[in-house]
Amino acid sequence: MWIYEKRLQYPVKINKTCPKTAKLIISQYGGPDGELSASMRYLSQRYTMPVKEVGGLLTDIGTEELAHMEIICAMVYQLTKNLTIEQAKTEGFDAYYIDHTTALWPQAAAGLPFTAIEFQSKGDAITDLTEDLAAEQKARTVYDNLLRMIPDPEVREPLKFLRAREVVHFQRFGEALEKTKDKLDSKNFYYFNPEFDKDMFHGKL
Amino acid sequence: MSGNHLAISNVPIQQWGELYSQEEALNIGTIFHDLNMPFFATESVLGTTNPIASNVVDTNVSNEQAQREQLLTKINQVSFFLDDLTLYLDTHETDTQALKLFHEKSLECAELRKQFAEEFYPLTKLCVPMRGTGEASFCLQDGPIPWEGACV
Repeated sequence: MWIYEKRLQYPVKINKTCPKTAKLIISQYGGPDGELSASMRYLSQRYTMPVKEVGGLLTDIGTEELAHMEIICAMVYQLTKNLTIEQAKTEGFDAYYIDHTTALWPQAAAGLPFTAIEFQSKGDAITDLTEDLAAEQKARTVYDNLLRMIPDPEVREPLKFLRAREVVHFQRFGEALEKTKDKLDSKNFYYFNPEFDKDMFHGKL
Repeated sequence: MSGNHLAISNVPIQQWGELYSQEEALNIGTIFHDLNMPFFATESVLGTTNPIASNVVDTNVSNEQAQREQLLTKINQVSFFLDDLTLYLDTHETDTQALKLFHEKSLECAELRKQFAEEFYPLTKLCVPMRGTGEASFCLQDGPIPWEGACV
């Protein structure tokens, strides 16, 4: 169960209309390394995680990613809410406008729709946690790229915040992997699948 | 804790260390000095202090809005402190310093949320009863919509 809290984790207050920036940032909503993808990845993987605390961490980070998705959406919304048709035409927002007007729709910067194909839930704790480490790095790179390209401080501040969270999440997934490794035989971490071969994981075989 | 092994990722376990104040932490994106690793391009606009997440009061707004925004900023700061601390505790369940801090900040956060509900509007449906029984209409949708940016 989730409870909605009527505030953003990090406040967003953008006064300037800039559809060009919105089209770049929207990638962190519905793009391959976006917050929606991140949230769905962690919230999907947690059910079969063999170490309870790791499942708990996936819930907490997956929940935070939903709040990040809301921050990105608020940014896109504020950057386009007073959009004129002239701006849409000259700042590359015309194609998006045709299909979605100024509503929010999860897509990548290049227009590809959000898809679950971008993430994995593999059913092997080591595989999934290694994917999660990579996912945080990929998202960090996207924020780095956005920060190189966007000069407006009103937009940069929330992006810097979100980038910093990727670094923290990487560290936590690393610790979650160590916790999982602690319960396996360090001579061969790959002797069985800790999520599927439950009896072997719990030492009953 | 695990040492280094072949053919698998190794990430050292974080040790408890110096923390940022809750005011600083929300602007930086973490409470931990050791995890603050900014990107060089973020330094190119040096001198910009965030007008949003800090306590800078906007003089163009009404007194009530200014007070509401100040209180909500405080809630954002304490809540974020707890968010980051929660993830730390998820992987450091027995860290006594972190646990103690978590309890302190949780109580502070609950108190601020109650104050916000009493003075302005409820932030969650669990805050609705804090408005008292004199309400003539359902107040959950009172106050600005978060994504409008009107109330920070």
